[in-house]
Amino acid sequence: MRLFPLSVVALAALGLASCSGGEPAAGSGEVNLYTARHYDSDLPLYDRFTKETGIKINRIEGKADELIARMQSEGANSPADLFISADAGALWRAQQAGLFQPVTTATLTERVPANLREPDGHWYGTSRRARIVAYDAAKVKPEEVDDYAKLAGPRFKGKICVRSSDSVYNLSLVGAVIEQLGKPAAEQWVKAIVANMARPPEGGDRDQIRAVAAGVCEVAITNSYYYLRMASGDDAKDRDVTQRVKLAFPSLGGKGAHVNISGGGVAKNAPNRANAIKLLEFFASAETQQHIAKHNNEFPATPGVAAPPPVDAYADFTANPMPVAVFARRQGEAQALMSAAGWR
Amino acid sequence: MALTASIIARPPRASPLAGLALLAGLVVALPLAGVVLAALGDASADIAQRDLLRYAATSGLVALLVGVLTALVGTAAAWLVVMHRFPGRDAFAWLLALPLAAPAFALAYAYADLLDVGGGLRTALRAATGHDLPFEMRSIGGAVFVLTAAFYPYVFLAMRAAFINQSVAALEAATMLGCPRRQLLWRVALPMARPALAAGVALAVMETLADYGAVHFLSVQTLTTGVVRAWSVFGSTASAARFALPLLAAAALLLWLERMSRRGRTHDNGKGRWRAIAPSELGPVRRWLAFAACAMLLVLALGLPLGWLAWQLPLAVPDWARLTLALRNSAGMGLAGAMVTVALAMMLALGTRQWPLAGRLASLGYATPGAVMAIGLLAPAGLIWSLVPGAGAGIALLLLVLAYAARLMAAALEPIDAGLARVTPSMRHAARTLGRGELGAAMAVDLPVARGAMLTATLILFVDILKELPATMILRPFNFDTLAVLASNYALDERLNQAGLPALLIVAMAMPAVIWLTRRIDGARPGALNAAA
Repeated sequence: MRLFPLSVVALAALGLASCSGGEPAAGSGEVNLYTARHYDSDLPLYDRFTKETGIKINRIEGKADELIARMQSEGANSPADLFISADAGALWRAQQAGLFQPVTTATLTERVPANLREPDGHWYGTSRRARIVAYDAAKVKPEEVDDYAKLAGPRFKGKICVRSSDSVYNLSLVGAVIEQLGKPAAEQWVKAIVANMARPPEGGDRDQIRAVAAGVCEVAITNSYYYLRMASGDDAKDRDVTQRVKLAFPSLGGKGAHVNISGGGVAKNAPNRANAIKLLEFFASAETQQHIAKHNNEFPATPGVAAPPPVDAYADFTANPMPVAVFARRQGEAQALMSAAGWR
Repeated sequence: MALTASIIARPPRASPLAGLALLAGLVVALPLAGVVLAALGDASADIAQRDLLRYAATSGLVALLVGVLTALVGTAAAWLVVMHRFPGRDAFAWLLALPLAAPAFALAYAYADLLDVGGGLRTALRAATGHDLPFEMRSIGGAVFVLTAAFYPYVFLAMRAAFINQSVAALEAATMLGCPRRQLLWRVALPMARPALAAGVALAVMETLADYGAVHFLSVQTLTTGVVRAWSVFGSTASAARFALPLLAAAALLLWLERMSRRGRTHDNGKGRWRAIAPSELGPVRRWLAFAACAMLLVLALGLPLGWLAWQLPLAVPDWARLTLALRNSAGMGLAGAMVTVALAMMLALGTRQWPLAGRLASLGYATPGAVMAIGLLAPAGLIWSLVPGAGAGIALLLLVLAYAARLMAAALEPIDAGLARVTPSMRHAARTLGRGELGAAMAVDLPVARGAMLTATLILFVDILKELPATMILRPFNFDTLAVLASNYALDERLNQAGLPALLIVAMAMPAVIWLTRRIDGARPGALNAAA
């Protein structure tokens, strides 16, 4: 009796919420995107895709592993067409879980270099992020940070700031170190980095850069775009920080800086497979890569795609040509090494 | 007498109330069963024993400290506001409950940003005084501080209600028997209010055990860190679920203790003669001390962190279209989720009166780490997805509402249990004697008596759902943001300036609910109207 009006209100409230939730439909005009990227600057890209192709994008954003678990639960009925992640490790885990189908198109092969994609076409990297070093220009000479190995030397005892081993970007970096130098040497490197830490790992990459400026440490290990975002952002204090703190691209095994990708793959049971491929190719297009470089300060994946400011000043760095697929699968090993060394 | 006996002896199977309770229990139990089921799977995460012990010790320490501090702060604030007269007292009565509206993760962002080595306040203080602050925000102490600020309102609300409803006669009797006024709290009021204290602290501690957003942001590694590490590094949901089992066990123990603390205590004080509590006038110095204490609590728990987020707002360009949609979604889900959860809680509470512990078990979702609850929720959701291929947004939202119920049942059960405790068996028996069935008696007696408690529960649930993250994240339909989701996504991306606005909007939306809630507690004292007249 009294419950009746209550239930009406509840239903109405649900209706209020649901009118903004789009129906995921299998049809020619839509594509269902599961993405771990949640940058506002990506939104205009989705609009442009819809305008150019007439295909509507339905989006679910979440952490990569939540999205992977959801796709697993949905099974064969999953509406997911395309899965996007900002880390190669997550793409590899999705592949391991059998969530991708191999896709090869002339456009993708042409736009994505071989080392930035999975050999069988399960996933493709469409933008690059380098995990490098921000250093205090007043105390550190650039040649002291031109190799990851030098960070492990006695010069930087108590001088390094870096975030915790929970960070996928650190796991991928250590995965790459294992791949490049072999496990025993990687173990030594990780131990030495832990010994060189100025403080127990805390905060995000931006916090490490700020800590350098605050004099807590002399070098910080960070992803490139966090620094670029601080340097070109609206926050005057952050811009001041980047006056004092500079960016260096150390080399791994003499072959160049460690590079991770953001990218995606077509879902195994994609109801809109053709549209998913179109969207993936759209992400790999020069315009999209330039948009992402300009607004999220990542590096383009395709060689020859000119990077716009502020990325252009750094875009010609030497990147380690190691295939991302090989370090992506070493995250578990990396975590074990780091935990054993006390990298919390 | 024979009639009564036959009612009691009726087998529970035949009872419609038990049936309803079973239905409601199913909603809550399925995700928990999903967690246990997942834990039975092949656990492949290679996490060192040493790390696990460290996580567990940290979880235990943080929970213990937050429990003690919320008990102290919440009780002291409630006692001060109810029993004393000082400047601003009436405003503090609801203002001090307001931090309930601020998500713990938002407080963590703000404090980390303020007091980190490169943080605004810390840098300014260092420049002004030449000395660095003697503490680290990103530490166990920092996490305990933030979580206490976020969760003490649970204790404050419960204790304030208990003090308002306490028996003046008992206090007067104690005074006449020579108990000094300043000892009334310890010797009379507190022992009488123990169940309320236990309920409030239980909620605060369960929230603490389940928290990931705040502790992660403050670089404190608790068991929830182990959960996320197992899941996101090793891709092992089985290991993740396994790490949650000790948390569930701890929560079950906590709930059992809380139940025990109520045993044999009817904090029902005389039926007839209610008089307003006469707050004591504080001296000229003490009244300002009381004011200062309340004001400081408010500034630390709400003013400083939210003020900082607001101060940063001009640095971000808000996407109003997206925010407006998210606001509408948050409001809609908050309302729908709160009502459904309260209805289910009512069914559970009525149907499990004979087995109080069964009802308690339904509260476990509250202490389950968000990530693990997400894993548990995916099991029944997967079932529905496979039964209804191409399930649309409607099904997804319904699923989400049920997920809220499963996660937040504890917050609804606490007030409703308390409300139903006011129904005596003789009242129910009277209804049965007058010819009502079991369900009819519940509708005629329990529901009207507990109506106030249901409204209280609805308001708390509404606020809790506004802040809810893990279930929303993993079960939401396409193109569906809530304010909490936006705030968290911005923060994950280290864009704190942008995270501020959705976080502030959550608080703004929750504020009327919190004010209403406090007013309701004022009016809950029988005879409150007479006292006002």
